[in-house]
Amino acid sequence: MIPQELIKKQRIVMLVLIILVGITAVISAGIGFSTLSFERLLPTLFGYGTFKEEFVLFSIRLPRIIITFLAGMALALSGVILQGITRNDLADPGIIGINSGAGVAIALFFLFSPIDPGSFVYMLPIVAFSGALLTALLIYLLSYDRKVGLQPVRLVLVGIGFSMALSGLMILLISSAEREKVDFISKWLAGNIWGADWPFILALLPWLVILIPFTLYKANKLNLLGLSEPVAIGVGVAIEKERIILLLTAVALAASAVSVTGGIAFIGLMAPHIAKSLVGPRHQLFIPVALLIGGWLLLFADSVGRNVIEPNGIPAGVMVALIGAPYFMYLLMKK
Amino acid sequence: MVRLYTDDLSIGYGERTIIKELSVQIPDQKITTIIGSNGCGKSTLLKAITRVIPYQSGAVVLDGKIVAKENTKLLAKKMAILPQAPENASGLTVGELVSYGRFPYQTGFGRLSTKDYEVIDWALKVTGTSEFKYLPVDSLSGGQRQRVWIAMALAQETEIIFLDEPTTYLDMAHQLEVLELLQKLNREEKRTIVMVLHDLNQAARFADYIIALKSGNVVKAGTCEEVITKQVLRDVFQIDAEIGIDPRTKKPMCTTYNLLRGE
Repeated sequence: MIPQELIKKQRIVMLVLIILVGITAVISAGIGFSTLSFERLLPTLFGYGTFKEEFVLFSIRLPRIIITFLAGMALALSGVILQGITRNDLADPGIIGINSGAGVAIALFFLFSPIDPGSFVYMLPIVAFSGALLTALLIYLLSYDRKVGLQPVRLVLVGIGFSMALSGLMILLISSAEREKVDFISKWLAGNIWGADWPFILALLPWLVILIPFTLYKANKLNLLGLSEPVAIGVGVAIEKERIILLLTAVALAASAVSVTGGIAFIGLMAPHIAKSLVGPRHQLFIPVALLIGGWLLLFADSVGRNVIEPNGIPAGVMVALIGAPYFMYLLMKK
Repeated sequence: MVRLYTDDLSIGYGERTIIKELSVQIPDQKITTIIGSNGCGKSTLLKAITRVIPYQSGAVVLDGKIVAKENTKLLAKKMAILPQAPENASGLTVGELVSYGRFPYQTGFGRLSTKDYEVIDWALKVTGTSEFKYLPVDSLSGGQRQRVWIAMALAQETEIIFLDEPTTYLDMAHQLEVLELLQKLNREEKRTIVMVLHDLNQAARFADYIIALKSGNVVKAGTCEEVITKQVLRDVFQIDAEIGIDPRTKKPMCTTYNLLRGE
């Protein structure tokens, strides 16, 4: 029933985005602190590079490109779901407190657990994930009303409240900590892609492989939830059940992403919104577009941020915020 | 036997009780209208019966089963709802919106079957909206849009259809058009129609059965002749009404009325 010309338009938009992602990835692979010239990219990729070239490409650049792309997709999809179930264009995993939940968990873990350098990095995603999940559950419990069920608007408000309270807690924690520990935490908060290594890709990938098809499978229900609550109930959507399942999906996606990238907001806000304005509000069509836009945005932000100031660059989270904050303002003004 | 009834149904928001221990029966294959003054709980009752809002105690029973405990998708094959003045359709085409009415029959990724397409076309045809199939819903006039929403409810292929003030925001001709469409569905397709109406004379003209509510209680339920009387209108609307007979439909109608004062 979806108009043919829209489907065609979506195909074209997808194609353009894939090309854009490809170009950005190639440029991102070719620029950086250590030189790896563009003409050496292909030979290195196929195993004809020097040891140094191979190290730069396979251990530094490539995992980082892949991880930013995947995390961007996860954040975008999380935003799609949150905006769908709250029927609010301003919902984003960062804005409703899931990022700060992960952040506080990381800070607590970092400050108070005995650190074993070997297993430490692999513990962090798990810690961040639990923090995000715990926060989401608390937000859910507090915005749930036994009589009327889950109120989307209340969910957003409670989430914003949580986000602020947790940020306050972070400041408290940081101000009482030692200097070098603070360094890492503040880098995490700024969204410095720190988990750019193959194991982290393997940790992130399964979530996407499962949850992208799962969300597409729920596309019709998301369409109906977006229309109006009584209409959705009338045609037989079990809205309470669907909201809980979808909320958990969104949290899992956001948590898995921020646990390796650090606190990154706005991707989940911008990607679905841009996608909707390109191909319309049908979830079947705009979810794939939003995924590519989200992945590209984070990849782009990180590639730029990494190279603007030598030697450490600007964290991706800050770069994204530089683009995202004005966009957020624009959305607010338009409302 | 009556398929649908409420049994001591109490509904409220928070502490405030709107409807208390209300028991009504919805006659099968008839047009039932619920009337009453503003805030009497008529929309609330409709929403509670159709599980859009929860109720506090009592039960809504359909085919011997308690509605609140039934599988919601299964119920959507038995009853459809047209909520009050549905919001905009966010860029959907008429065909797409009507296709959403097929949701209860879909499995998996929701591809429409041949049968689905047939039903959609049928729903568009009976509501006279076939020509709009590929147009955006938001580009239609109020009356056309209302018929499209009715088409969506029809695509659900349910025996019972609930409508919450289906004539609001429509001009007189379009109001009649919608009501006549519902009457046709009732007469020709044997659908049970339950609706909330504001206009007393429209209720009298189209309903087989009228439920008159006041402050959450049933004042009178019965045929038009039983309900549209001086006494009932006095109790329900606090008006002193003159009841005549519609010269065309031979149904009772309120020809003129005054407010009741100082009683």
